[in-house]
This record gives sequence, C-alpha cells and structure tokens, in this order.
Amino acid sequence: MVPVGTEANSNSDRAAQAHEFADAMVMEKPEDRGTLGPIFDRAKNRAEPRRTPRVSLIVVLPENHVVSPDRLAEGLRAHGNQDVDVVVACAGQPTNLSALQRSVGDAQFLLAPAGTSTEDLRELAMRQVPGDIVTLLSGALLPAIVAESPLVMTS
Amino acid sequence: MSSSRVLSVIVPVRDGNATLARTLTAILASELPRDDYELIVVDDVSSDSSPELAARYADTVVRLTARKSGAAYARNRGAELARGEFLAFVDADAMVRPHTLPRMLGILSDHPVLDAVSASHDQTAGANNIVSQYWNLLLHFGEQRHAGTSGNVASPCAMIRRHVFLSAGMYDEWRFETARLEGIEFAQRLEDAGRTVLSSKDLAITGLKRWNLRSLSREVWDRSALLARSLGYQRTRVAVPSDVVFTLSRALAPAMAVLFFLAISAAFVPTPSASIKAAIVLMGAVALNFPAYLSFARARGILFAIAVAPLHMLMQAVNGLGLCAGWVLRDAVGDREPDAATQAYAEVGVEIWPPVPRASGR
Repeated sequence: MVPVGTEANSNSDRAAQAHEFADAMVMEKPEDRGTLGPIFDRAKNRAEPRRTPRVSLIVVLPENHVVSPDRLAEGLRAHGNQDVDVVVACAGQPTNLSALQRSVGDAQFLLAPAGTSTEDLRELAMRQVPGDIVTLLSGALLPAIVAESPLVMTS
Repeated sequence: MSSSRVLSVIVPVRDGNATLARTLTAILASELPRDDYELIVVDDVSSDSSPELAARYADTVVRLTARKSGAAYARNRGAELARGEFLAFVDADAMVRPHTLPRMLGILSDHPVLDAVSASHDQTAGANNIVSQYWNLLLHFGEQRHAGTSGNVASPCAMIRRHVFLSAGMYDEWRFETARLEGIEFAQRLEDAGRTVLSSKDLAITGLKRWNLRSLSREVWDRSALLARSLGYQRTRVAVPSDVVFTLSRALAPAMAVLFFLAISAAFVPTPSASIKAAIVLMGAVALNFPAYLSFARARGILFAIAVAPLHMLMQAVNGLGLCAGWVLRDAVGDREPDAATQAYAEVGVEIWPPVPRASGR
C-alpha cells in the first residue's frame, strides 16, 4: 500500500506513485467482475479523428463516500444525448452496486487500494478514461447524505 | 454538480506541471461557496501530465488533441462547455488571491453597465530569479499605467458575462495561436461594440511562471511581432484612416527601432569620445524609460533597478526587432493566419473534434 493524500506528495513523485497504484488496481465491468480489463487501448484511441468529442464521467468515491442518484443523473444529463463512458473510481471494495448497474449499465470500476485519497483517485481515473471531455463527480461523505439512500458507496 | 452555478472558471494550460497545481489550489481557496462555481481546465496538447494534474482539482477537464492551438482556442472550448452566468479566465501560471474572484463577481453583479473586468499582476513573482521579478514588475507597471476602462480580457485573469462573450464572437482563435494578445484584441472588439470593460488596479494576481532570458526573449518577440503584424496594424488602420498618416505611422515603429540601433552602434565606435557617446546614449535610454525604472526602484530598490537596466534594454531591443519583423511579415506575407490545411478544413466546414479554429473576431 502506498501512502497517499499527504502534503509530502509532490509533483515529482506523483508519477512514481501512479505506477505503483497501477499495479494495485484493476478495471472491471459490473457484469464480468473478476476479469481484468484495462482500457489503455481506448485511451490511445483519443487521437483518432472524430466528428464529436468523446465524453467520460468519473465518479470519485473515496472510502465512506457515496454519490446520490440525483447527482449522477445530473452529471449524465449535462452531456445531453451524447454517449458517456462512466468510470467509478473507488477506494476499497464497493458495495451496493445493484442500483448503479441499473442506472448506468456499462459503468466501469476502477478499484484502488483502501485509503487512496480523493485527489489520487481522480488522477488515476483520469489516466484511464478515453474521454476528450472528462467530467469528475465527487461523492459526499457518508454521514452527510446517509438518508438519501446511497446509490453506491465504499466500505 | 449543480446546473445553477453562477460562475465558470476556465483555465487553459499547456505543459503546466510547474505551476498548475498552485493555480488551481488558489482558485479553490477563493472565498466563494464551492457549489457556486465550476472549474474547467482545457489542456492544449500538453506533453507533460497536466491533464492528470488538473483532474485532481477540476470539475471538468478537456483534452485537446492533434495540434497545439493556443490559449485563445482553449479558452473558447472551455467557454462552450461552461454553464455559469459569468466566465472567469485564469492563466495556468497565475495565482489568484482568495478575494479576487469574489470581488470580480461582485463588481459585475453590482454594476450591470459593466460587461467585463480584468485583474492585473501584482509586484510579487512566484519565481525569485531576477528575470521573473523583472518581467512581473514590468507587467505590473504597464497594467497599472493603462488601468481604467480598457483592459486585457484574458490574461492573467478576467471575468465576463457569458452572453456577452458569446455574442461578441469569443476570442479570435484564428490569429492568436501564439502570444498573449487575444485578450487585448477582444477588449477592443467589446469596446467597439459599445461594451464596457474595466481594468482594475485593485484586483491583482501573482505571476508564477519562472522566466529565463530565452523564454522571456521569445515571449517579447512573439508579442511584438504579432502586435505589429496583426493587432497593431488593425488598430492603426482604424485609428488613422488617412493614407498619408497611415503610411507614416506604419513606418514609425521600424524607423524608431532602426534609429535606436544606430545610436547604440554609434556609441561603440572606437573614438576618443566613445565612452562619452555611450554614456549619452545610455542616459537617453534611461531617460526614455525613467517611469519604468522609477517603478522598479520603488518596488525593489535602486540596486534592483540598476541591475535590471541591461535586461530592460535588451528586451527593448528584442521588442524593436520583433516589431520590425512583424511589419516586414505583414507586407511580405500578410496578416497572421493558420496553416493551409486548417484554412482548407475551415473553408469546407468539416465537422471534427477538436474543431477547426474559427475566425471569430473578424
């Protein structure tokens, strides 16, 4: 486990940390969990000519954070009718995924070690997503919106 | 993410690893409720990890691909995505103070007659080498002198009503691929359209970029060449429509530069009075720039003003040469335009991502 989210994290050692994290995390789809599925190839395709930008939505869920259905829906709605690649970046093992699968069937999950900070999750997810336009949606601390029937949370 | 955010803060960046984190941290430390603004970073084909660094702080990161297109183009792409009623443009090497954005927002909210407001550099510099200190002080000096109702609606930090920005045609991404002059051209365009721009002395930011002799010379060269080739030419044509005066005014800048170099050269002719000639020329140069040197001395002391005098003269020489080059290019080649392929794409109207630069300001 790599300590993250401290003041000591400088720009110079961030790249090294990212490589260490890369070994510790996997990308997976809800329907085939357990199958490693890095999407670096999709990220490489960003440079190919297209008529419209590719859009990605990163949902950032550090430990004990949740995102409400309304916020996720709003994040998706902001891009209109465009196809959006949804990536949920979690610190620790996510639970209660069924609601999310219903809402965003093809969401991918980026599983980082427990304790990974919000900023590191964001950076790691950014390295993975293929979007030209990437929207980042941060979850809220669990006690704050526990009454809102959380869509997904990390334990 | 709320759809009712008041402000969209847009930060264009290219290879900004050295300063971007401080810039974004400063924006997030603004005395504004976090839900009141969105932070959009537009990466102009960086070769470093600027997009990943931006993702640590931003709500939206736009990754441009294919070719570097400049800050004007990047800001326009950010504005197209923005949903705030007001747009704030902050350079990736500028550090706002906690009250800068709230005060700008307050000024525009309280004064409906104002359409845009711009901040200026303060006297401090993020880097402590003498070149950076000098350049920040010079920018501060120039911006303070010209503060009032004209400004630079782009660098280092400016805020504008979104509907005004869009209706004015956004930044001219066609001509301003290099140099930071698109904000000056845009401010002029706004004023021509009857809009009001306030350049405030009291709203200040700190420049973070570490300049060296080479990068500063390049910056001054780009600015002066583009100024003479494009922006200055257009301004002169508008201000001086008479053919005779127009021709004379076109010749003025290169003539002054040539005279300057002749004077400097004459000072070094090996005659018994060479040192006297040199002293006279130097005194003339100092006298012409006395307000600037006075400003340097007040900010950093007399020794600093003396120390940067050779640097200031060198930059003036680069500026003169750049102006000459700009005028020559204007006559030989014409106004600044994108490469032929980009022009062809624009003419045909091909729809691609990232979009082909548009000549919005013309």
